[in-house]
Amino acid sequence: MGAECQYELAQAAYVKLALHALKHPAAAVNGLLVGRLLDGASSPAVVAVVDAVPLSHSPHHLPLLPTHELALNLVEDHFGAQGLAVVGYYHANALRDDADLPAVAKRVGDHIFRYFPRAAVLLLNNNKLEEAVKGKNREPVVQVIVLIFPIQAKGSVQLCDNLLHLSIIK
Amino acid sequence: MAAAAVAAMATAADDEARLLRLEEQAGHGGGGAWEYLCLARKLRARRPDPVLRLGLALLNNSSARSRLASEQWTLYEQVAVAAMDCHRLDVAKDCIGVLSKQFPGSARIGRLEALLFEAKGEWADAERAYALILENNPFDQIVHKRKIAIAKAQGDMSLAVEYLNKYLELFMADHDAWRELAEIYVSLQMYKQAAFCYEELILAQPTIPLYHLAYAEVLYTMGGLENLQTARKYYASTIKLTGGKNTRALFGVCLCSAAISQLTKGRNKEEESSELQSLAAEALLNDYKQRAPSKEVLITNMLKNMKLS
Repeated sequence: MGAECQYELAQAAYVKLALHALKHPAAAVNGLLVGRLLDGASSPAVVAVVDAVPLSHSPHHLPLLPTHELALNLVEDHFGAQGLAVVGYYHANALRDDADLPAVAKRVGDHIFRYFPRAAVLLLNNNKLEEAVKGKNREPVVQVIVLIFPIQAKGSVQLCDNLLHLSIIK
Repeated sequence: MAAAAVAAMATAADDEARLLRLEEQAGHGGGGAWEYLCLARKLRARRPDPVLRLGLALLNNSSARSRLASEQWTLYEQVAVAAMDCHRLDVAKDCIGVLSKQFPGSARIGRLEALLFEAKGEWADAERAYALILENNPFDQIVHKRKIAIAKAQGDMSLAVEYLNKYLELFMADHDAWRELAEIYVSLQMYKQAAFCYEELILAQPTIPLYHLAYAEVLYTMGGLENLQTARKYYASTIKLTGGKNTRALFGVCLCSAAISQLTKGRNKEEESSELQSLAAEALLNDYKQRAPSKEVLITNMLKNMKLS
């Protein structure tokens, strides 16, 4: 299982998750990422993240199980018809300076990883998001953490054309 | 009993709809700004951007402001809080300045000044200001809650839990506080403690479907046969209290039934539950047929998979 993996985040996915976070500035938000493995044989492997599906922003539902089970079920079904699978999960924390991945994110990530071994978990950087909105910063607002069980590897992120390239190099 | 609960939820939904309508209307210069601001205050809705914009416009219009007479001070307070929420600390400072000139030595203004320290992130100054207010009135609920909020804002969840528990010893009828505590417990994955909070809420106000729903969700997350069976009961009571309109509860019943049948595979299945499940499934399908026909096939598939498992 190669530790190198690249993720191409389409604009639709990236903008959606950023807007989701911006719409609920006082809450944590999360959602699923759908896409496909472009070429598993190449090294590094490339995963195309085609779309993002926002899940919730209510603290009474976000960390609980029923929402996630249901969502994974329905999203897999709906996008499966288009040949896409759930390839990751994104999360934005409520507190601005909170840069830790919460337990719920790790659990959902683990679960997705079991079905898609190159699953990516994206954590939004709230500071960078704020700067991006004010036009001060053109850096990507996400940090990618890939769960290569049991190791966690952080990755670098590059913006390129209409795609966000995220690379994981151990 | 159930009818009253449904009626109450309907009025709340009406109010929310009216609030959004007024927001649209006033935002486009169609008048009704004062009505909107009053409704927002009554519903304690958190909509800082429109409140700031519309409130400030009213305050800066001297003729409109003088027409408000004594109500203008409430507006200053409302705008100050909205400004802090939008991080327009300059506006907040101005409003508080006007208010403190009008009401010197007021504890209510003192709370606003402390809130401004919070907005600036000056936690020590905020805590000192709140401590001062508590000296004069040790049972100031709002100040106690701000202390909890400061702990939460600093990310110190265990301190927030400690303060909240102390607060609830004094003010055990504060339902919002119980909900807040449950929410924090859930974020810390302390599900048993969260369940206890919801049990308190259901005991105090048994006809509020929100608490039944939240309790069911926590039980489902905890897992295990007994919890799943109880969760299904509370999803069912939510359905009853909301006249079958709560989609989440309908889904919940189906999820529980599927999970329970997974766990009891091979054992004798109870007959009483199958009617509940099929009714919930039918209600779900009808709901989707009416409101989201394009997604109906997803639900049909999901229900089929569940029955097989």
